[in-house]
Amino acid sequence: MDVAYMIEIFPKLIMTLPITLLIIVVSAIFGLLLSIGVTYLRLKKLIIIGPILETYVSFMRSTPILIQLFLVFYGLPVLMNSLGFNAGDFGAITSSIIALIIFNGAYLSEILRPAYLSVERGQHEAADSLGYKPIEKFRKVIFPQLAPIALPGLGNAIIYLVHDTSLVFTLGVVDIMGQAKLMLANTYGENKIEMYLAIAIMYWLVCLSSDRIIKLLEHFTYLKRIKRKSKVKKTKVYKESVSIQ
Amino acid sequence: MLSIKDLRLSFKDNEILKGIDLEVNKGDVVTLIGPSGTGKTTLLRCINYLEKPAKGNIILDDLNIDYEKITKKEILALRRKTAMVFQQYNLFKNKTVIENVMEPQMIVQRKSRKEAYETSVEQLDKVGLIDKLESYPSQLSGGQQQRVSIARALALKPEVVLFDEPTSALDPELVGEVLKVIENVVSTGMTIVLVTHEMSFAQKISTKIVFMDKGNIVEEGSSKSIFEDSTNARTKEFLNHFNTNKLNVTKEEVYA
Ligand SMILES: Nc1ncnc2c1ncn2[C@@H]1O[C@H](COP(=O)(O)OP(=O)(O)OP(=O)(O)O)[C@@H](O)[C@H]1O
Ligand SMILES: [Mg+2]
Repeated sequence: MDVAYMIEIFPKLIMTLPITLLIIVVSAIFGLLLSIGVTYLRLKKLIIIGPILETYVSFMRSTPILIQLFLVFYGLPVLMNSLGFNAGDFGAITSSIIALIIFNGAYLSEILRPAYLSVERGQHEAADSLGYKPIEKFRKVIFPQLAPIALPGLGNAIIYLVHDTSLVFTLGVVDIMGQAKLMLANTYGENKIEMYLAIAIMYWLVCLSSDRIIKLLEHFTYLKRIKRKSKVKKTKVYKESVSIQ
Repeated sequence: MLSIKDLRLSFKDNEILKGIDLEVNKGDVVTLIGPSGTGKTTLLRCINYLEKPAKGNIILDDLNIDYEKITKKEILALRRKTAMVFQQYNLFKNKTVIENVMEPQMIVQRKSRKEAYETSVEQLDKVGLIDKLESYPSQLSGGQQQRVSIARALALKPEVVLFDEPTSALDPELVGEVLKVIENVVSTGMTIVLVTHEMSFAQKISTKIVFMDKGNIVEEGSSKSIFEDSTNARTKEFLNHFNTNKLNVTKEEVYA
């Protein structure tokens, strides 16, 4: 294996990292916002919107992301035209981001909804009976309790999102994979293994850092607070018993 | 002070409360008794609108609410004048003991942190939990959790406190400590509506006993008039059932 070659191509690959990160960050943020809206409406069990949203979620969960990318890339301009908007082409990056947002709007909702439902009815009733307004109840009671349930799932979803971005080169985006494809074409397909290994390492590093962010967020949830506290207590007791001796 | 007129409630096609009239005066301790599934809990929950009656009227203090036309504002007002103590305590799991008692005061009554803290410490002292301020509910026994929930309710200085079987979820050895706290609350002159199966406790503290059966109030009156002098067949049958149960328990305890 040609390690020198790997070191040589690394900077070139890293140059394209901002594109990948841009797609990840924008899709994650807007996908999460969309999924919050979707979850809110799904929980209301509305008569017409409810079944529509269930269909949307089911469709997005069960069709390959690659197909969804193509559908948005080729289909969205046609749809916009037929609706009377002369939108033209969206471009590969925008199409990728739109597709990933639509996908995550559904997928993340499948994480948020059960997390919300896992908060016991008694917690709602306690806040209601004390005279909390719905928004106060959500902020002070429900959200802090659903957060630690949802976070691990959201962490996994980010990793999937990172992986999914490795497909956007099929639309012509010059991200890490797109760049690799170009470079491989220049070398007539030699050093394939070094190339893909280098890419794998880069994806790994991206996932590691997103993991750290999720861990940091988990650190602030109440479950971790309780855990830390009981640990502190135990060490205190231990110290006391030592000092008695 | 609290007056309910012709309260009706159904779940689906099942009529649960069939026109309840109830009067509670200031300082009263009204205890609802009756067979399981009779609607005692449901009635109590209607008083702070955790259940939505189909019909009826409630007067509480200066509020006069028609359940059919209740507004969001009235719901909040009703809930803020009443406080519920649940069978399952329902302390906020993500808050410490002191936060559980402080936060509602700060959110609902807009009290300052300092003011809320002082009231909370005072209430928690009364229920004997001054050394547990920083504990989380999951670190407390059921009896301790229920005492915190009583402190949380009282800290809001409600007009009426509603207790729904506050000791039913507790291990037998923890029942006493909670009953003692409730007795202390009674002695402060607080207006109380209580649902319980602790008959001797009910007999001791109540100014009025209300016997319900199948969604109706069958009979109401003083402790003595219900527990000793009742001539109503259903009331007597219900109370007899309780006495025999009690005898069985003692028998088992004797032979254990
Ligand atoms: N959310 C609900 N949906 C449908 N039926 C309900 C609901 N809550 C209560 N019920 C029914 O209403 C009736 C009255 O219930 P409730 O809990 O008020 O009885 P209770 O007198 O408090 O009984 P217990 O002594 O067992 O606590 C029961 O038949 C119960 O099955
Ligand atoms: Mg009940």
